[in-house]
This record gives sequence, C-alpha cells and structure tokens, in this order.
Amino acid sequence: MNAPLYEYGLFGEGTGLIVAVVIGFFFGLFLERGGLGNPHKLTGVFYLTDFAVPKAMFTAILVASSGLYLLGDLKLLDMTRLWIVPTFFWPQLVGGALFGLGYLVAGYCPGTAVAALASGRLDALVTMVGMVAGSLLFAVVYPAVENFYQTSGMGAATLPDLLGVSHWAVLAFVVVMAAGMFYSMERYERKAR
Amino acid sequence: MEKNSFWSPYVSGIGLGLTLLATFYVIGKGLGASSAFSIVSAVAAQKIDPEYAGSLKYFSRYLGGGSPLRDWIVFELIGLFIGALTGALAGRSFGLKLDRPSHMTGGMRIFTALTGGVLLGFAARLARGCTSGVALTGGAQMALAGWVFVMAMFVSGFIFAALFRRLWS
Repeated sequence: MNAPLYEYGLFGEGTGLIVAVVIGFFFGLFLERGGLGNPHKLTGVFYLTDFAVPKAMFTAILVASSGLYLLGDLKLLDMTRLWIVPTFFWPQLVGGALFGLGYLVAGYCPGTAVAALASGRLDALVTMVGMVAGSLLFAVVYPAVENFYQTSGMGAATLPDLLGVSHWAVLAFVVVMAAGMFYSMERYERKAR
Repeated sequence: MEKNSFWSPYVSGIGLGLTLLATFYVIGKGLGASSAFSIVSAVAAQKIDPEYAGSLKYFSRYLGGGSPLRDWIVFELIGLFIGALTGALAGRSFGLKLDRPSHMTGGMRIFTALTGGVLLGFAARLARGCTSGVALTGGAQMALAGWVFVMAMFVSGFIFAALFRRLWS
C-alpha cells in the first residue's frame, strides 16, 4: 500500500502543484461539458426546470465513494492517511443555508463560477469579486462569529461511524435513494417537456 | 444550440467522480474551490493595508509565511479554468456575455452576481468549504459535514427560489 501517493512522499510540493493543475483541468472540463458553467442550468434545480446539478453531483459522489471504499478495502489506499472533511454541525448547517441563497442569487457556486468565466460569462467574474469580498467580510467579523464557528465540532465524523454500520450499507442506501431521485427527475422532466 | 451541445449530466458526473477519486488516491485530500478566493482576499488585503490584514485573526492561517498563493487549491482552480475553457471552445459554447434571465437588466445582473458572490464567499468560510470541498468531497467520504451542507443548501435554495420566483425563471 503506497497511496495516497503524496502522503507517502512519492512526489514533492512542486510536483503537487502541477498535479493540481492537471486535476483541476479535468474538474473544469467535466463541469463545463455537463453544462455546469451555465447559471440557468445551475439554478434550474431550484425551479424544478433542470436537474443537471443534482444528477451530476450525486453521480459523482456515488462514483467517487464506491471507488474510495473499494480501494480502501483492497488495501490499495491507506484510509487513515486520507484527509476527511471535518464536521462542525451548526456552522455547516447555517453556512450551507446561507450558501444556498448565495448560489441562487449569483447563479453560481465558487468552482462553477470559474468554469462560467472560462466560457465567457463576465457576470461570473463579478461573482468571483464578490466571493473575495465575502471572504474579507468573514475575516473582519470573525472575532464576533468565532465562538459559533467553533461549536459542534465532531472531527472526521462519517455516517458509517455514526450509525455503526458498514460503509457499504450506507453506500447501498445512498444508491437506492439516488436511483429513486434520478427516476423521479427523469419522469418529471419528460412530463414538463 | 448551446443547450444540446452539453454532455449528459450523468456522464459529466462520472467524470467528476473519477476526478475526485484520483484526487483521493494521488493527493489524499479532495477537491476544493472557495478557499482560493479567501487566499486571494487575504493577499489583496495584505497588499493594500499590511497592518490591518495582519490584525485579522482569520487571515493569519494564510499569511503566516511563505507565498500564500503557492497553494494546491489556487493551482487547481487555474487548471479548472483551462479545462473549462478547453471544453467551452471544443463544444463551441464559448461566448462573451453577461448571462442573465431575459427580464433582468444588465445593472440588476451585476447587482445579483455581486451580492450572491459576497454571500457565497462568507457562507463558504463559515461552513469551511463549498460545493466542491464540503458537499462533493465530504459527500463522497460519507462525512456528516458533506450531507449536512448539501441538505441545508438545497432546502434553502428551494425556499428562496419560491420567495424569489422571478429571479431566474
């Protein structure tokens, strides 16, 4: 077992930055080609007119998740060296809700704004300027929100750990849920057309 | 014309999932986006008023030493831009424009793009990431963070879309 490759010192920081550009390239290519640089498609989900975002998003989650668990179980990837997104329940609930509003108003999220600018959308550049300003605003008011920002920290909490079940059981549940969702979306889109 | 040139979102999703999986395997972290804007914000603040930027506790994580822009996420976003540009040119969907709903004036679109951006920038810091770093990465790791964020984002988007019906439709 020698993966994650960077964690096992197979390459240094400089090479890591080149890898970042290559990975970003595919990230941007798939976002743009999926129509996720288009604010009408990006916000369509909230108006039940276009479900490209949840379809692409949950497909991506399922592919990456099954691949990750497979690599982990086959001992091809050391899961203990993988950085897990830390949970801070309340800040992420409130932050997620505020983010949903920002996404609706702007028509973009941070990554898709960059993809949108690359396809010639100048309004996405305005959104990017707004995100820089919003980050500054957060830094300025940070002393007032720091307590809240640090509440309900749960570390690397994952659903399999919390529920005490196998990761494949959780994945199977998400697959069934996503399949049901995809089916309803396809039906709904066909009816609306 | 543009609408039909896109790939199926399922195909795009498989591509995104494999890209994320490759990131796990090669780097040991996931994808991200929003922190690059926070880094740019910290660097810009430091250029304009070093003393004030230095007094901001939250920015100290970026301005501690070395060159803050030499960061994995910053380079990933440069790649994202090149990849999306390649896709837009190859798919002939590139076009300089201010993209907005047909009923919206240009000035109003600049206003929504900017205020939406400010909200996104602030919210992503509070949530410790965005759709890439928390929702997609955390979701694939079955991290509670990812699923809390995804649910909150969609519920909020649906509620506010019902309140602002004329924003995009």
